[in-house]
Amino acid sequence: MTSRLVLACVLAGVALASTGCVRVKPWERDLLARRDMAFEPDALEAKRESHIYFSKEASMPGGSGGGGGCGCN
Amino acid sequence: MTAHPTRVRATLVTLALALVAGGASALEAGDRAPAFAMPALDGKGMVELSAYRGKVVYLDFWASWCAPCLTAIPEVEKLRAEFPADAFQVVAVNLDQQTTKAQRFLSKTPIGYPSASDPKGRLPEQFGLDTMPTSYLIDREGVIRYVHRGFKRGDGDKLRHEIRALLGGN
Repeated sequence: MTSRLVLACVLAGVALASTGCVRVKPWERDLLARRDMAFEPDALEAKRESHIYFSKEASMPGGSGGGGGCGCN
Repeated sequence: MTAHPTRVRATLVTLALALVAGGASALEAGDRAPAFAMPALDGKGMVELSAYRGKVVYLDFWASWCAPCLTAIPEVEKLRAEFPADAFQVVAVNLDQQTTKAQRFLSKTPIGYPSASDPKGRLPEQFGLDTMPTSYLIDREGVIRYVHRGFKRGDGDKLRHEIRALLGGN
């Protein structure tokens, strides 16, 4: 009885968690690639913010690909 | 009335596999290219892959919002003009959800090869595309011989080498 309950809880948990996992396929990034979908559409401002970020975090600069969230390459 | 541990384990394993295995696997060199017939982007008839059987085919998936795809187009057009039309064919598949955007791009950058339009993304699903752009070099028997993922300036030379090898080798 206990293992059934555990199984039911696990299944419910997985079912709930999987609803949040929507994978945008590479060819579905049409809208994400729009300039206004970028966190910072202004290229200069984005570069400045990225520089501050990686200087503070001591990490490599990160960022998005051409045109915002294209994710190309 | 307890669930059998083996059954519980089997259920969990199946569930985990189902979650991990999500999409179709990507086609690689050695796989047969799926046959397709899709409406042409310019609205004039259909683009059919089997029509080019017997030629080496360069199949290019592109979209107007994808910057590296647009970098590739002039280089691919150069390759098309470079090799004999009776032995080499370029076929494109546009994946714009709004086809007018792609048509607008092509009105400024004309191409000398057919482009199909697949706004619902059925073909990339079949090919298991994992990046944009992806192109496939298909031999005369319809078998994929080379897969090119992404595109940066100068990649045309690598493609030229692969096409030449396929044309010469058959």
